[in-house]
Amino acid sequence: MAWYRRWWNALRPGRLHGDVERELRFHITERMEELQKGGMSAAEAERAARLRFGSFTAEVERTRDMDISGVLDAVVRNVRYGVRSLAKTPAFTVTVMLTLALGIGANSAVFSAIYAVVLRPLPFPDGDQLVRLMHAQPRSGQTFLAPVRLEEWNRLNSTFTGITGYYSEDTSETTGEFPEKLKRAWVAPRFLQVLGVAPLIGRDFTSAEERFGGPQAVMISHRLWQRRFGGNPNVLGKTLRAPSAPFTIVGVMPASFQFPDRDVDLWAVSPPDSPYAQSRLNTWFTAIGRMKPGVVPAEALANLVTVQSNLGRQFPKPDAEITPLVTPLKEATIGGVRRSLWLLFGSVTLLLLIACTNVAALLLSRATARRHETALRFSLGASRSSVVGQLLTEVLILALGGAVLGLLIAAGASSVFRMLAKDLPRIDEMGLNGNIVLYSLLCAVVVTLICGLVPALRGARSGLAVNLAQGGRGHVRGRNRLQLLLVGVQVALAVVLLSGAGLLLRSFQELGRVSPGFDPTQVLTFHISNTWAETGGKGARQRTERLLDGLRAVPGVEAAATAISLPGVPGQYEIELQTTEGRAETEPKMLAQGRWVTRDYFSVMRIPLLAGEVCSDDPDVPSIMVNRTFANLYLNGPAAIGRHLFRPGDNPGPARVVRGIVGDARETGMERQPPAAVYGCAGSLQPGLHFLIRVRGDAGSMAGTIRRKIQELEPQRSVYGLSALTDHISDAYAESRLRMFLLGFFALTAIALTSVGLYGTLSYLVSVRQREMALRMALGAVRTQVARQFLTQGLRVSLVGLLAGLVLAAMGGRVISGMLYGVSATDPATLVAVVLIVPGVAVLASLLPAIRAARLEPMRLLREE
Amino acid sequence: MTKKNDILQGTLALLVLKTLEHGKRMHGYAITAHIQEVSDQLLRVEEGSLYPALHRMEQEGWVRAEWGRTEKNREARFYSLTAKGRKQLMQEEESWSRLTRGVARVIGYA
Repeated sequence: MAWYRRWWNALRPGRLHGDVERELRFHITERMEELQKGGMSAAEAERAARLRFGSFTAEVERTRDMDISGVLDAVVRNVRYGVRSLAKTPAFTVTVMLTLALGIGANSAVFSAIYAVVLRPLPFPDGDQLVRLMHAQPRSGQTFLAPVRLEEWNRLNSTFTGITGYYSEDTSETTGEFPEKLKRAWVAPRFLQVLGVAPLIGRDFTSAEERFGGPQAVMISHRLWQRRFGGNPNVLGKTLRAPSAPFTIVGVMPASFQFPDRDVDLWAVSPPDSPYAQSRLNTWFTAIGRMKPGVVPAEALANLVTVQSNLGRQFPKPDAEITPLVTPLKEATIGGVRRSLWLLFGSVTLLLLIACTNVAALLLSRATARRHETALRFSLGASRSSVVGQLLTEVLILALGGAVLGLLIAAGASSVFRMLAKDLPRIDEMGLNGNIVLYSLLCAVVVTLICGLVPALRGARSGLAVNLAQGGRGHVRGRNRLQLLLVGVQVALAVVLLSGAGLLLRSFQELGRVSPGFDPTQVLTFHISNTWAETGGKGARQRTERLLDGLRAVPGVEAAATAISLPGVPGQYEIELQTTEGRAETEPKMLAQGRWVTRDYFSVMRIPLLAGEVCSDDPDVPSIMVNRTFANLYLNGPAAIGRHLFRPGDNPGPARVVRGIVGDARETGMERQPPAAVYGCAGSLQPGLHFLIRVRGDAGSMAGTIRRKIQELEPQRSVYGLSALTDHISDAYAESRLRMFLLGFFALTAIALTSVGLYGTLSYLVSVRQREMALRMALGAVRTQVARQFLTQGLRVSLVGLLAGLVLAAMGGRVISGMLYGVSATDPATLVAVVLIVPGVAVLASLLPAIRAARLEPMRLLREE
Repeated sequence: MTKKNDILQGTLALLVLKTLEHGKRMHGYAITAHIQEVSDQLLRVEEGSLYPALHRMEQEGWVRAEWGRTEKNREARFYSLTAKGRKQLMQEEESWSRLTRGVARVIGYA
């Protein structure tokens, strides 16, 4: 109990002091009374009574010290003193706090993104034990798992507590007035056990429901529950009507459960014992495994490799050539974003360093200006450590103030992140929480030490006799050098950020300047809900045909087509081809990007036909188009027309005749050279199929018309994902846009801070050297000479900083080079811009202090001395 | 400044605890007066040591203090013994008697 009373007392020293004084005064009164009874006069009695205490004030102090925590008392005193002295210099205080708020805030903001996306475990219990499992096959690369194989892996391994899997598709739910698009995940057995999540209400699937022919059960998302059922707990047992069959709702998942992604509304079982799941070639699951505690991915992989090689002996075709792939689920979820985030974190840490350096320079000036005060404290018996403590406390107050303001910035940052890159994985999990607050406070402490220690130690140098004698007039040359060095450091760091931002900006420009070989403007894209069960066969093709014909009839529509993947949005689908006419064994394998389109795709995308004719969608005459690169690379250019291509393998498709050659287009991503590509012509409705429509006028304005038309043609299906192709492409580059914007923002802030730093330091130099300048002017120096001296000083330190910064930037070029497009890490244009900007800014920042120096009134100043 | 009747270092706490033993609430002045009276003026408590000692004992939890009024209606701080203080008193009495026995023997056989 004692310690907290002491701490509490330390926070109310005045009150405590009063109490002690009151108690002791009572004693004196009593004693006086006694002495007066003995015959003393009142005055004599008081004197005698007080005398018995020795020094009354010292006594009060000593008694009070018993009731107080010494350390906290010193802290409280330092804080009080610090606040008072900071309040006396509001301009300084506000400048430093804002600088630190910017530095700490931006840093915490990026940290909160890193924390949410990279550091925090996935929102599953022991999420680090979860891995994603895929096949790797020599010909087709990474592929999905066959349900049979998934069950075998699950049964035969020794390193997993369970393996499950999923695939998803869009569906229409038709209980309501209009068909509603829902995303359904088909899951393998054990889905919830492996993920370690329980339904919010209701239950997991039963084993009967996980078997073929069992009851059709479904779990619904929290969102769907709220939206469609108003959060009514009686939802269990109700029926959802999906095109294939009605499903009974058995559970509602918690709001935090967003797996495989945040759009999934329904989870239903895909039974492994169904007849269509028995082929070892039918692959559709993305598998998820939970490793046993203590097992690492490498061990799990080794185990699965053994399992699979046994299967390979048992089923040579196709299992012998399949190898398992194990990726930690977190890794698989966040992908390459990690790199961008760490780049941003690095940049924002440089920014914080600049802010620190800036503040350190300001503190140095302040310490110099307060030498007199410090000397006085020394002469009154303060120890060096107490003076350092006092100065550090001041910095800590500033840093904490900065951190609190910075948290406001960090709080707003998540919405900025979401605005700039709404598809960033896990971005929904970003926000302010205890860890971010803790991080900011930690930043404040580190900042205090970095920028406060040197000024505090210097400020507490005890040349006190000299200082007192000089009365603050002395020359402070040595300190100037340190301050100028700090400015140079700021310039160097700012140069690093500036050149990084410049390179990203130039990359983005280059990307925008690319001629993609197709025209993404005025193209509207959307999906129409349907399921895998409906794919294939004549019906699906005729349905697509009818839809496209209907769309073409809409006024304002120029052309309509479908495609499996969107042009310009990064994505790869490499296939191998062979010709029925045969090729020499020595010729390279024919590898190409395979795209499935309908015949009008080329006119929608304005990809020119170079030779031959456009293919037809007629399945009886299977046809294919190739691009120029493919034709030139493998089939001697124009000779390609009329050749027959097919995909080799156990289940070879029909040989397709090459009808024509089209121009090269950057369909696999704007930043990639057009690869060899083939276009299989076939239109068949399948989940995720893109409809592409070229319209006259603005793509967005047609959205309503298209929606109504589809409703008329296919009343049972829903239209979704309606947006302009240009938006899709722009979203696909959101990550690079995010890092460009943020790095640009950091670089501008860095330049601004550095200018303030340079300006502040020079102003300070002018003020401490007033006397010297006045003297020189009095002795005949011309005003312009004085001004030039300061300008040169500012410029010189900036140029040294620039040089150092360029060296640093060159060393850091490696980090960023993987993110560049069309420019090298030593892009001359960027370097020239940086080299021009820095001295320009330096001159601007030095101009005002230099002019002020030139305007000094020598006579007045010298008289004052 | 040593006076004959100064209280030996460390015994002040014992004396104060003993004074409060009977459960009476006493203020600092009364404690001084009591010790002086009971010791037949042999012992005199220094004001300069009493109050720091009292406050330290309060922090240790041996005594409890509260503000109250004297018969003359003056505000004073009254001290009383706590259970913890009673235990402390026993310990201090024990070690005091050991000390005096020891000292007596040394003097006796010197």
